[in-house]
Amino acid sequence: MLELKKVSKSYTQRGMVLGDLDLVVRDGDAIAVTGPSGSGKTTLINIIGTLDHPDSGDVIFRGRSVSTLDADESASYRNRNIGFVFQDHLLLPHLTVGENILLPLFASDIGLSEYEEKKKNASGLMKRIGISPLAGKYPFQISGGEAQRATLVRALINKPSLLLADEPTGSLDAENARILGDLLVEINRETGLTLLIVTHSDALASRMKTHLILENGKLKTI
Amino acid sequence: MNSKLKNIIPMKSDILRMILKSLVYHRKDAVYQIIIISVLSAVISGSLFTGHSVRSSLKRASLEKLGSTDIIISSGLRYFDPALSEKVSAATGNPAVSILETDGYCSNFSTGVTALNVRIYGTDDTFFPFHGSGSLRIARGEAGINQSLARHLDIGEGEEIIVRFRETDPLPSNAPFAPAKDDHGSVVLKVSHIIPPERGGNFSPGISQQIPMVLFLNMADMAGGQNKRIQANRILVSQVNKADYNEILSSVLTPADIGLSLRTSAKTGERELISDRIFLDSLLVSEILGNIPTGEPVLTYLVNSFRIRDKSTPYSFVAALPGHLYPGIDTGGIIINKWLAADLDAVPGDTVRLSWYDPASGKSLEEKSRDFYIAAIAGDNGHYADSSLMPDFPGISGSTTCAGWDAGVPILLAQIRKKDEDYWNRYRGTPKAFISYEIGKRLWGNNFGTATALRFPSSLSIEEIDGRLRSSLIPSVTGFSISNARDSALEGAAQSVDFSSLFLSLSFFMIVSCLILLSFAVSVYFDTRKKQTAIMYALGFRNSFLRNQLFCESGLLSFAGALPGVFLGYLLNLLIIRALNSVWSGAVQTTALSADFSILPLLYAFSSVLVISLILIFFKSRQFLRQLTKPAGGVMKKHSPRINLAAFSAVLTVFIIVFVCGFTLPDYSTTLFFVSGTILFASVVLLARFFYIRESPEAGSKAPSAFTFQKKYYSFHPSHIVTPVIFIAAGIFALMITGANKLILTDKMLERPGGTGGYLLWAESAVPVKEDLSAGSGRAEYGLNEEELKDMSVIQCSRVTGDDASCLNLNYVASPPLLGVDYREFIKRKAFSFASVIRPGKYTDPWELLGNNPGENTIYGIADQTVLQWGLQVRTGDTLVFRSENGQPLNVIIGAGLKSSVFQGYLLISKENLSHFYPSVEGSSVFLVDGLPELSEFYGKILNERLSGYGFSAISAGEKLASFFRVTNTYLNVFAVFGTFGMILGITGLGFVLLRNYNIRKHEFAFLSASGYTVERIRKLILRDQLIILAWGVVCGTVSGITATIPSLRSGSEMPLGLLAAMILLVIITGTAVLYFSAGGIKSSELISLLRKE
Repeated sequence: MLELKKVSKSYTQRGMVLGDLDLVVRDGDAIAVTGPSGSGKTTLINIIGTLDHPDSGDVIFRGRSVSTLDADESASYRNRNIGFVFQDHLLLPHLTVGENILLPLFASDIGLSEYEEKKKNASGLMKRIGISPLAGKYPFQISGGEAQRATLVRALINKPSLLLADEPTGSLDAENARILGDLLVEINRETGLTLLIVTHSDALASRMKTHLILENGKLKTI
Repeated sequence: MNSKLKNIIPMKSDILRMILKSLVYHRKDAVYQIIIISVLSAVISGSLFTGHSVRSSLKRASLEKLGSTDIIISSGLRYFDPALSEKVSAATGNPAVSILETDGYCSNFSTGVTALNVRIYGTDDTFFPFHGSGSLRIARGEAGINQSLARHLDIGEGEEIIVRFRETDPLPSNAPFAPAKDDHGSVVLKVSHIIPPERGGNFSPGISQQIPMVLFLNMADMAGGQNKRIQANRILVSQVNKADYNEILSSVLTPADIGLSLRTSAKTGERELISDRIFLDSLLVSEILGNIPTGEPVLTYLVNSFRIRDKSTPYSFVAALPGHLYPGIDTGGIIINKWLAADLDAVPGDTVRLSWYDPASGKSLEEKSRDFYIAAIAGDNGHYADSSLMPDFPGISGSTTCAGWDAGVPILLAQIRKKDEDYWNRYRGTPKAFISYEIGKRLWGNNFGTATALRFPSSLSIEEIDGRLRSSLIPSVTGFSISNARDSALEGAAQSVDFSSLFLSLSFFMIVSCLILLSFAVSVYFDTRKKQTAIMYALGFRNSFLRNQLFCESGLLSFAGALPGVFLGYLLNLLIIRALNSVWSGAVQTTALSADFSILPLLYAFSSVLVISLILIFFKSRQFLRQLTKPAGGVMKKHSPRINLAAFSAVLTVFIIVFVCGFTLPDYSTTLFFVSGTILFASVVLLARFFYIRESPEAGSKAPSAFTFQKKYYSFHPSHIVTPVIFIAAGIFALMITGANKLILTDKMLERPGGTGGYLLWAESAVPVKEDLSAGSGRAEYGLNEEELKDMSVIQCSRVTGDDASCLNLNYVASPPLLGVDYREFIKRKAFSFASVIRPGKYTDPWELLGNNPGENTIYGIADQTVLQWGLQVRTGDTLVFRSENGQPLNVIIGAGLKSSVFQGYLLISKENLSHFYPSVEGSSVFLVDGLPELSEFYGKILNERLSGYGFSAISAGEKLASFFRVTNTYLNVFAVFGTFGMILGITGLGFVLLRNYNIRKHEFAFLSASGYTVERIRKLILRDQLIILAWGVVCGTVSGITATIPSLRSGSEMPLGLLAAMILLVIITGTAVLYFSAGGIKSSELISLLRKE
């Protein structure tokens, strides 16, 4: 599904963060990447999500290089294939939870039937994840755990094939972190959605099928 | 240095270093503040520099016109011997020169092009040397003209001009028995010099910024009267040494200087003082008799007839004599000579009826009569048989026959018999009858005087009388007035229209826009400092420290912006002055303004901008810190659409009611439509607010879009919509109202209560017209005999010249021209309307004030309210002091202020008062013509044609009134232009709003980017919001503006619709461009970098 070939990235101030990194991700994989702060975990996710470009090397998604896509192509690639979950929930404060979940649908023009279908899907997901009662509430009216679960539903609204999560439990308490971890594992198991999670949480990482450590710009299997 | 101080200094320098480093780091964001403060500073300093430049220009123009003149000694409408200036010069050691200032006009001899408003000065060989122009002299038969007149006439040196002017006849033409002959000289002269300003070409002592058209003649070419004596009426003094000119004049003035002469009666040996003005002022008579108590006044008058029963004697002189010199005259009866007794078959005890023209009736020649009993019959050789008792009337005394008299009154030749001619041949004008002086004074005393001679006993020698007379000739009694022309000119300029305040007002929108922009820019700048400030706050820095740091940073930015801004202001001043000299010259009526630099406007502008910006920054920094340190996670407030809808419905209902009333109550339509426009403004703003805060219906045939969700942002932040909408709409609304306020001539103004008084034409003549143009004789005189003219009537007004007090003069004016009007005519036709009255309700019509003199030498005057307020800077009830012709103070109490009228620039008094206090003012110079409206053009054409010899110029009264609108309309144009600039400046604030909204919501947009929104789509989301705000603003301003100006739109052409449309279009284009430009600044990389945090 996804292959990173000799991907390197360095920053002027920080020097090299990824060096000739290789990674192969298959459909249905659930991969956790851990590593010390500054090791390049977020850079790795950003490069896969085309939020950043590698200095060298290539990122191939379903046989097509995505590391050289222009801004519009990148946006389209993300919209269709990638779901993002960040440490901060990044829910828009003026929209209800339901509206926030639907928001990615409007990144491009959408027909009524497709909209209705995806809305129905979102409804199912919300039910599945247990946040249906929150649909009409605003972000400031719900808890952090609930917000992060809403973010997960929002990431799945376009039925992506790859979910990229950057410290998804970083701002949650242990109970909420556990609930979110359960959800991620269940979704991977039930839907076959590929997961690539960057985290400091060993507890979360240990629940993924694969646990990799990013060190000195390279990934190592535990 | 103590240890505490030693610790503080390095700490302070560390803080300063921090501030400077912070500024350098955030320099890109700081540049907006600097630019905006520069613009604000430029606008304010530009306005102040303009005010300074205008006043400097006025001062320069006034001083240039005065040349070397400091003091002007004026004899008003009278004349004196030009040699008087030499005596003044000798007594003071100051250069002095006599000139003759007179009315008139001139034409290019070849082309016929005429200049009406010409200043004509008679000069001698000393005039130009006095002004430092060396050898320049105007010889007899030549004329010197200034460049302005040369341009107007399109004439060069060597070419010829026709000049028509009032000759220097000492006997005013409207004095009793002054010859009816035209006393206006008309000469063809060669233009010998076109005199540049630096050689005194623009000489003119009047206070006005306009460059006059000036014509210089040789004084000798202007001499009139019987003796063609060269005379002057002004002395110009260059004050090298300070002097008391009243005292100097008193000491040097001789009777001969002012046309008084002494002679001895051949019959009685008495000494007699006579005047070349025939009549001696009552004030002068009192003064002389106070000094020479043995003197006695004599008044000799021409009567039309003596009649006893069926016998009558025509056209004879009667002398009113003092009892001291003529014992027996004080009986109340009349003494007649033998010739008359024989002619009338009269004996003592008979009653004789005398008929004469009342001197108070002027040209209307009202005949009066009175019966006298005959007290005695005088012998042929006694002291009554004195031919010198007849004054030296110019049109009579030189005549060889009675039939040849030119007495200024109709002489019925049929009544003159051979015996009358014989009497004339033998005794000349020896009076045939004698009454007491007191009775004569009551009957024939007039505005010109109460005596035709003063008689002194023969025991006094001529020399003795002359010597004692000199001490009586104090300047104020002999009609002289002394003014410090230089001080008056400087005062006029110093108190002139304040262009600094004016342009600050006109720049109102620009200043407000700058302040709004500055507020945005400061907010944007503070937003960039949010993280840094939050960190410092978290580290334990106090709010006061953080506030001071932000304040100091922004203060430095203000300094950096204000300093170049004030110099930019000078450049703006150059542009404004150029505009005032060209496209906006309507406001200043001159093209001679020049930019002038001074440190004061610069300092004022710099300090005021600094203070304004620091105050704003102080409050912004407090607000910023308050929000920053507020606990996070507060509940967002959702605004109630229901309350908004209710408010909207209520306001809309009020609007509909007021709007409908606007149509149904036409008398109040202007106010009602303005109010309804304002209410509509509020209701559209409420509608816009409702549009954003209402719950959007979700169901529909289309899927919702990102825009639907984007709009929801404003349901929590409606002020982000309402504020820019109000700003844009208010700007457009103000522009439209300004456009509607342009003054144009309306039908109401042409009606009787309007500014034209309902008259068809307004006319002025360069040379006064003596005849009554409504009377048969006057019409016959000027050939106004057409049948079409039978309905034409002319109101004639006499004028005493002064400085124009209308809005066309920028200077402060203390002595406006006086206009003597027939106020009864205005009462009768209910003409004109009043803006203020001294005692409302006391008079049925404020015009009546002009006929009520509240005290001696105190009268009421009426002027346009605008003249009172701006030109004269007085209010109703205030008193202006003038000098009457005989030099006495004349107090004119402002009785009422007229609504805008054709009389702007004049102070109106009754024509009776004018001829009483200024008897020498001849004829009429201002005319109001009425008649059949459809013949208006014909009247104007005929009058201009038939009275062309008087420099007559008739225009429609409406046109005259509209000419005053030019100034106001030009100011409104300036306001519109500045307002548009202000709007455009303010519209750029939309760019700031966009950027600020973007900055605040950056993380939201970053997430959208991560979700697959292209940057283009994000830009569109933001741009569309702001364009909708722009559209709401434009629609709100335009719709409410149109509503408020419906009366103007309905009345026709006054709204400059094209200009307004262009301005609104400009606002739309600028707003759209600014928003596109600002949205273009949103970069995908910037959004993504927000997500790249490790």
